[in-house]
Amino acid sequence: MDIEAKVKQIVMDKLGVEEAQIVPEANFIEDLRADSLDTVELVMAFEDEFGLTIPDEDQDKLRTVGQAIDYLKGKLG
Amino acid sequence: MHIEMPKLIIGDLIAKLPIIQGGMGVGISLSKLAAAVANEGGIGVISSVGLAVVHPNPDKSFQENNIAALKQEIRSARSKTKGIIGVNIMVATTDFDHMLRATFEEEADLVFLGAGLPIRLPSTMSLEYLQNAKTKIGIIVSSGRAATLILRYWAENFHRIPDIVVLEGPKAGGHLGYKPEQIFDEDFCLEKLLPEVKEAVRKIEEKYSKSIPVVAGGGIFSGEDIYRIMQLGADGVQMGTRFVATEECDADAAFKQLYVDSKKENITIIQSPVGLPGRAIGNQFLKDVAEGIKMPFTCPWKCLKTCDFHRAPYCIALALQNARNGNMREGFAFAGANAYLVKQITTVKALIAELIRDYSAACA
Repeated sequence: MDIEAKVKQIVMDKLGVEEAQIVPEANFIEDLRADSLDTVELVMAFEDEFGLTIPDEDQDKLRTVGQAIDYLKGKLG
Repeated sequence: MHIEMPKLIIGDLIAKLPIIQGGMGVGISLSKLAAAVANEGGIGVISSVGLAVVHPNPDKSFQENNIAALKQEIRSARSKTKGIIGVNIMVATTDFDHMLRATFEEEADLVFLGAGLPIRLPSTMSLEYLQNAKTKIGIIVSSGRAATLILRYWAENFHRIPDIVVLEGPKAGGHLGYKPEQIFDEDFCLEKLLPEVKEAVRKIEEKYSKSIPVVAGGGIFSGEDIYRIMQLGADGVQMGTRFVATEECDADAAFKQLYVDSKKENITIIQSPVGLPGRAIGNQFLKDVAEGIKMPFTCPWKCLKTCDFHRAPYCIALALQNARNGNMREGFAFAGANAYLVKQITTVKALIAELIRDYSAACA
């Protein structure tokens, strides 16, 4: 499974949203109704899935689905 | 038959009584109250929020004043008691890092982290420093989910596991970690949340072979309440409201009297500039805020990460400071859901004696 598909799967599982809602522009908090716990759980799930550590200062950059995918692609080359 | 309350065991730290006095800001629980509670065998907690306004030094910055004032309060408490002293720090405050460091430097026995998710390591602190700090770490949570997340995060990222978990239910005073619609929902009552938090903590305890007590707070009023919640599995209680109505409480007498005079219908829920709902005693000031009357203020220092001070209808730090000093016209008092049950101002000694007596009676 590619990075994009895995990210979508995690977002669907964690936030309980439909696949159609998970578009690149979708903001986790504003569009997908993630609360403060959800956003941390998402980061932890990405870390588990892709076997990397996302530093605190980078976490603020992952505001949308697209930003998360791009960030992870960049890290995983 | 007289049955004693069990001790509260937090690693090598043992409180004679399983009672934690909840941290109350601005300036409601400082060294005087905390030391009095510690002297009776409970855990006294200093609130670190907005201390610069309690001990102002015009020659120093707001932040420097905050740090100096917290250190002064911890030392002052230490000089009055050999008991257990903790510090409560709001994660949402902009000087969280400095307050945590000051607490560690003064070697307070405990620190309680609440009003936000405590998952960012202070930028000024190395992992090693955090791991070696003698101060025990307490986290304040509103659900099992939050407990799991924070404990797991600390274990995996900081390699230090918090030592105690405080579950603050929706009947607490001040800021609440619940959505407005959850506050009066029976599914979110303390008695229902406790087993969920206990279970979440138990899993972490097993995984990391560490004992982590769970303390419950929010609406605990009598010795019977303490007995009841401990029967449901709590290792202790956190209480705030009862300690406001004591001679030792660090607030002005007018603030305390408000609790005595309050009626059930006065206790209200507000939306605080912190970004959380909060429970308070309703008054003209809050009515004016609700009606959209703006209270002009200049922000001397952005104390809350989440405060949009250009748009906030009033300064919460200033309002709470005014109330603390007895100026209720320009402020308001946070209070727990049962504050209206308070009938008189007493002493910490007499209050603790009453709680012990009623606990014992409830056991019988």
